[in-house]
Parts: sequence; structure tokens; C-alpha cells
Amino acid sequence: MATNDVSPQDPVTNPGKNWMIDPKTGELRVLAPGQTFRSVTEKIARIVLTSQTPLGWLFGFVMAGGLIAMLLTAVAWLFLKGTGIWAITMPVAWGFAIVNFVWWIGIGHAGTLISAILLLFKQGWRNSINRFAEAMTLFAVVCAGMFPIIHTGRPWLAIYWLFPYPNTMNVWPQFRSPLMWDVFAVSTYATISVVFWYIGLIPDLGTMRDQAKSKFAKYIYGQMSLGWRGSARHWMRYESASLLLAGLATPLVLSVHTVISFDFAVAVLPGWHTTIFPPYFVAGAIYSGFAMVLTLAIPIRKFYGLEDIITMRHLDNMAKVMLATGSIVAYGYGMEVVMAWYSASRWEYFMFWNRMFGPMGWAYWVLIACNIVTPLTTLWSRKLRQNIAYLFAISLIVNTGMWFERFVIVVTSLYRDFLPSSWGTYRATRWDYMTYVGTLGLFTFLFFLFIRLLPMIPMSEIRMMLPQAKVKHEAELQTEAGD
Amino acid sequence: MSNEHGHHAKHLPADLSAPASVARWRNRALLVALVFALLAAADFYLHPSDLSLDYVLRGWLMGLIVCFSFAVGGMALLMVQHVSGGKWGLLIRRPLEAMSRTLPLVFLMFLPVAICVKRLYLWARISNPEEALHAGIINAIQAHAIAYKRPFLNIEGFWIRGIAYFAIWGTFIFILNRWSRQRDTDTQHGNWYWQKRFENLSGAGLLIYSITLTGASIDWVMSLDPTWYSSVYGLLFLVAQGYAALAMVILITLALSQDEPLKSIFRTTEQHDLGKLCFAFVMLNIYIAFSQYLIIWSGNLPEEIRWYMDRITGGWGYVIGLDFAFHWLLPFTLLLSRDIKRNKRRLAAVCCIMLFARFLDTFWLIAPNFADIHHNFHFSAELLQYIFVPAAMTGLWVAYMTHQLRQRPVVAINDPHLSEILEPEHAHA
Repeated sequence: MATNDVSPQDPVTNPGKNWMIDPKTGELRVLAPGQTFRSVTEKIARIVLTSQTPLGWLFGFVMAGGLIAMLLTAVAWLFLKGTGIWAITMPVAWGFAIVNFVWWIGIGHAGTLISAILLLFKQGWRNSINRFAEAMTLFAVVCAGMFPIIHTGRPWLAIYWLFPYPNTMNVWPQFRSPLMWDVFAVSTYATISVVFWYIGLIPDLGTMRDQAKSKFAKYIYGQMSLGWRGSARHWMRYESASLLLAGLATPLVLSVHTVISFDFAVAVLPGWHTTIFPPYFVAGAIYSGFAMVLTLAIPIRKFYGLEDIITMRHLDNMAKVMLATGSIVAYGYGMEVVMAWYSASRWEYFMFWNRMFGPMGWAYWVLIACNIVTPLTTLWSRKLRQNIAYLFAISLIVNTGMWFERFVIVVTSLYRDFLPSSWGTYRATRWDYMTYVGTLGLFTFLFFLFIRLLPMIPMSEIRMMLPQAKVKHEAELQTEAGD
Repeated sequence: MSNEHGHHAKHLPADLSAPASVARWRNRALLVALVFALLAAADFYLHPSDLSLDYVLRGWLMGLIVCFSFAVGGMALLMVQHVSGGKWGLLIRRPLEAMSRTLPLVFLMFLPVAICVKRLYLWARISNPEEALHAGIINAIQAHAIAYKRPFLNIEGFWIRGIAYFAIWGTFIFILNRWSRQRDTDTQHGNWYWQKRFENLSGAGLLIYSITLTGASIDWVMSLDPTWYSSVYGLLFLVAQGYAALAMVILITLALSQDEPLKSIFRTTEQHDLGKLCFAFVMLNIYIAFSQYLIIWSGNLPEEIRWYMDRITGGWGYVIGLDFAFHWLLPFTLLLSRDIKRNKRRLAAVCCIMLFARFLDTFWLIAPNFADIHHNFHFSAELLQYIFVPAAMTGLWVAYMTHQLRQRPVVAINDPHLSEILEPEHAHA
């Protein structure tokens, strides 16, 4: 337990094994009963404002910092030697860089879905997880955004290669290329995500300013809260800004990964050129993103004792979203196989046969085992969805599976092309691995900073979900906070 | 149920059966069906040609696909609202159930297509692709595709799969409707018991629905051109089906809401939600349709692009232009407005536009597959069968649906959302 417990003022009368179940509906509660405005605020704010940094946090932070050192080494060597240190060559000219880019961007999508789409769908349960899911989005975009820049080998020229600007040579990027659209899609996505996240933080920054004891913290949070006083007018503007930004962010959940799927689908290569790619990439992105939210949420709620706020209901709902999006992904895999046969094209057929049974076929079966067989056969069970250790394991398995999905799409479509004399293979080098693992470190590092410096759960939104926050006759109807 | 909460909550009327106006709709729908059937017969006999019967069948296939969308799409939306929960689902539940119970009629409509499969489908007509190629009836690509796909595209397979699809959908529709009736009178179990039961059935049902629907869409429509393929086709068909069924169920619900008993549970809040759902379907449909087009356009592979060339050149540009306007441009622009979503007459008008778009799109998917009209959209007396036959079939479908609507109370009770939906609306909602 990293922080001291704040005991709720209203003790639960029956703390038996089913106290998280609402007796009237038989459903799991969104929040544990007995919370007050004060207990919520103190519990969340204390994680940040405590002067005693937990040892576990320090340990993780230092470890992640070590991985960043590895990332810097790998990238420095890349800039000195060029992309030749990676495994890419003909015919596999796209390797880890694009695989990692797509994987990271995909992970980010769950954050936007939770913060934007679930807000528009009036899903109250999202409040507990939306702040750190959105932070996850930002850091995942940072990791993803690195790859297009470093894969040029000369990042000081990347702006000229990637971004269209009027130059004396009158040379422009190819506007019909989805790689060009990616530049706009990802930068728009990053911008909206940052703004949305920050706007959402403002009321909590005000709370932090008021709760902070040290002068420095008061000053910093005070500056960041942009003069938030919590007046009715502030709240009104805050609510409309949130809704407008949610409206802006919603199409981005679909568009960003759609454009990324076009990177492959507009080519005429079997295995890439298939019309199901846009929806199937989007579903896969959300699938992997929710897996990552679970990977983060499960240890965090345990470590900081947040089980009352990030409850079984959240874990269960996230598992359900994974079941739904995973099924769409499975449908996509199925249609790829069916159409490889139905197309009556020998190239399509060979590509798929080779993907399944060729020398790199193992990667395909790893992907099927991780993404389809393990999660989609078991997540139907309510019992397993509410088994925390199992969910954590599944979240890691799905993250692995989704990484392999991109690996399979990129590599197994390329390594045996139309001309057998040019067939090759792909073996990642140590620099590839160091860069990839390094971004995992960068992500963890940023995430650790975030949970130490900012409230990871939106206090204001949780307070609004408590029965006390409702108008009286509404509160009477309300049996379950947040519904 | 609503008494305990006091405050201005409305009460359900004692009589929950469908209002008398439903019988009038049935008579009008039958009249429409009769008029268009007579027009179709007149067209058939007054302009005899080699292709007269073919055009009747093509129109029939279009009518089948539209009515099938209402019935099976209705079932899918029914499952979606059971899985997702929400007050809007309670509002449209009984109309959706009535739509789903028209499946037997749709099966009867399927029989002529199954019997005349050789007249409609090139792959069924050609028994020996090699000979047909030498005789110049088909080209080399078609000959290869037909020979290659024979294990899947054969007449027996078409029948067996068709019957299997109907059996599967029929089973789900039967259970969903039966449970719904039991739930109304059940006092033993709590309403959450039923909620879970429906949830479990519908979750698995949606999965099976998406697989069977994909199969049906390939069998019945995509295989009209045996050479063409697109891996997103089934999903696009599925979204289009939801689009049609949603527009239809909103129209039915808006009409029912004029009278009791639906009047007392109908609130603008839920109407607004349904309007937003329409907007989501409008966007999802154009998203998938446009992605498919963009991918095939930029690949520009001869085996794929021809399907679009058949459908956008030689006069078809006007049809796809109208399709785009009615499918996306108009409903998108209109549904952006909050006032339109909250006004009964205006939302009904948008739903009519959406339904018209589905007719037009189905026409655009089916008609250009046939050699006498692809690349060359022109008016002929036979072409009118694409209006007469589907209109007659839809009239008949509506009449049967209204008959089904009258069989049960139009408000489902014993639902946890019922007391919520009887609450007064919030001014800010």
C-alpha cells in the first residue's frame, strides 16, 4: 500500500464478499459504496501530494530510465551509421519501425475511445479510468511518432521529407500517398488528445492547488489550473468544451488508424491490398488499447489501493469491450482467409498459404493463439472476466498478439514476393530490439512521471458520480453511483 | 411501478395493445402492394421481350434484399438493444420484434430466387465454363472464376446454405420473441433475470448473425458477378442492413407514438438518441463504402476496378451520384441539426430519405451485374420492374409486419428501464 488509507465516513455495514454487488440490480457497482467527496479527493490527491515517494515507484522509474538510456544508445548509433544497422533490406524493406509505429498508435486509441466516445455515449463508468487512459494515449503517440522520424536515418531532414513546405527546389511530398496523410492524421490526433486531456485536468489542478501544502506545488498547480475557481460559469464552459472536444476526437478514433491501414491497403501487394483493412485496423487498435489499459490499471489499483474507484465493474466492462473488438478482429482474419481463396487469384492464395505454412508461419500461429484462441474462448465467461490475475495475463497476451499481427502483416506479405529469385527473409538485429524495448521504457518512464505529478483519476468526475452529488429526487432513484 | 417515485411520472395505460390505426396502415400497404403488382403485370404483358422475365426476377431479388434487410436487420438491432441496454431499446423493442417475425414471408420471397437461380446467376447458368468460353458466352476471367469457385458457387450449395441461414435466423427470432412474451407475464423472476438471459443469447446471436449474413451477402448479391471480390463486402452489407432496419423501425415507432399506449412512454430524449444512432449508421456506412472505393481505386487492379467501372460509367454516374446524395450527403447534413432529430415529422422525413437511399443502393448493387445494362444505363420499359416489383413486395411486407405488430402489446413490461422511461424529461436533456 503506497498511501495511507482514507477511511470512508460512512462505514459499509456489510463488508461481506458481495458488498460490491448492488442488491437491487444484481450488477457490480461502479464505485464502492460509502465514499464521500472528501474521501475521494484525499485518496487521489494524496498519491501526488505525499512527500514520501514509494520505493516501488522509484524502482520502476529507475528501471524505465535505464531502458531510455538503451533507446538513446540505439538511436545514436542509428544516426551515426544509418538504417543499415536494422534488419531491413530487400524484399523486406519495412520492418520493426513500421510494426512498432502501428502498434503504439493502436494502443493510443483506447484512451481516445474512453475519453471521447464513451463520454458521448453517457457511459458513467469511464470516469474512473479516462484520465490515465488518455495519458496512455499521449505517451503511446510519443513512442509511435518517434519511428517515422528516426526511420529516415537523418531526422534533421525529416521535416523536409515528411512535411510539405514551400522550398526553393519546389519539391513536394506525394500527396496521394497515405504516408503523407499519416503526418496530418497523427499530428492532428496528438494535438486534440493533448488539448482534451489538459482541459479535463483543469478542475483537478484547481483542487491540487488548494490541497497542496508546499508553496512551490501551490504555485505550479495554480499556474496550470488557469485560474480555475469552480464557479458555475467555469463549470458550464468546462462542460461545453469537453463535449465539443469529444465530438472532435470521436472521428479521430476511426480516422487515424484508417489512414494507417491505407499505408498498406492502397498498395497492390497481396496481404496488404484488401478492403477490410480500415475497420479491422480500427477494431484491432481498440482491442490492443484496452489490453494496455488493463495492463496498467490492474497493478496501479493494487499498488495505490484504488480498488474502491477502479472496481471490478471497470475491469469487467473493459474485458467485454475486448471481447467485442477482438471478435471484429477475428472476423477480419477470417475474411482475409476466405477471400484469399474466393478471389481465384493465385497470388492471393499463395501469399496466404505462405503466411500460414511458409518458413515464417510460426508468427501467424502465435498471432492466432494470442489474439483469437486464448482471449475469445475465455472472455465469454463472467467468472474469468472477474478474475484479476487472469485478466492481467490476457492483457499481456493480447498486447503480444497485436504486435505479432502487425509483424505478420508487414513481414510475411513482403518476404516472398512475385519473383522467387528475390525471396528473402527477415531477422531483426539487436538494434531493432533495443529500439523497441527502449520505447517501452520511454512509455513507462513518462507514465511513472504522470502518476507521481498529476492526479491519475479525475477527482471532479468521480465526485459527480457519488449519490450526494445528485439532486434529491434523483438521488432517491439512484441506487448505483454513476449509472 | 411508477407510483413509488411520485413526482410527475406518467402511468402506463391499461390497454397496451396496438392502436386501431395499425389496421388502417395494413389496408393501405395492401393497396400499394396490389397497385404495384398490377403495374408489374401490365409491364410484363404489354412489353414482351426476351428479357421480360429476367427483369421481373431482378426486381424480385432487389425486393427480397430490401425486405430481408428489414426482417433480419430488425432481428440484429433487437439483439443489439438487448446487449447494450438503454431506454431507447425498450421504446423500439416491440416494433423490432414485429419486424423480425416477418421472416417466414421473407423465406417465401426467397423461394423464387432459389428456384430461378439459373436465370439470375451467371455461375449457375454456365454448367461447363470451358465450352462457354469457346462459344464466346463468357470471357477467360469469368471462365476461370466460375470453374475455380465451383466448390462454393454451385446450385445445391446455394440452396443448402440459404435454407441453413433461414433456419438459424428463424431459431433466434423464435426464441427472442417467445422469451419476450414470457417476460411480460412473468412475476416469479426479477426483471434482471430476463435481462441477463437476453444478453447472453444476443451476444452469441450477433456473432452468428455477422457470419451468416456475410455468407448470404456473398451468395445472393456479390456472386451475381462471379469474378469480383472484396473482403469488406459482408461488413458493408451488415451496416447497410442496420441502416435500413433502423430507419424503418424509427418510422414505425414515430407513427405508433401518435396514439396510446406508446404515447405515454415516448419521450423526445429517446427520439434524440435514435436520431444520433441514425447519424452513427450514416457515418459508418459512408466510411466503409468510401474506404472500399478508395482502396480499389488506388490499387486499380483489372480484376477489381471493373466492378466499379460497370457502376460508374455509361450513365451510372447519375445513379451513384444520387445514391451518394441520399445515402450520405442529405441525412448527414440534416442529422447534424439537433432540432431535426427532436422533431417527429422531420426525423420521419430523414428516415424516408434513408429508406429511399437503401432502395437506390440495392438497385445500384444488383442491376449493373447484368451484361445488357452495365456500362450503359438506359431507360427501357423493363427497367421499371426495378420499381414495381420491389414496391409491391415492400407493400406486402409492411402489411404482414403490421399484422404481426397487432399480435402483441406494443410496450414490453417487466423491464428495468420501464420506470425510467415513464419519468418526466429533463429540460436540459
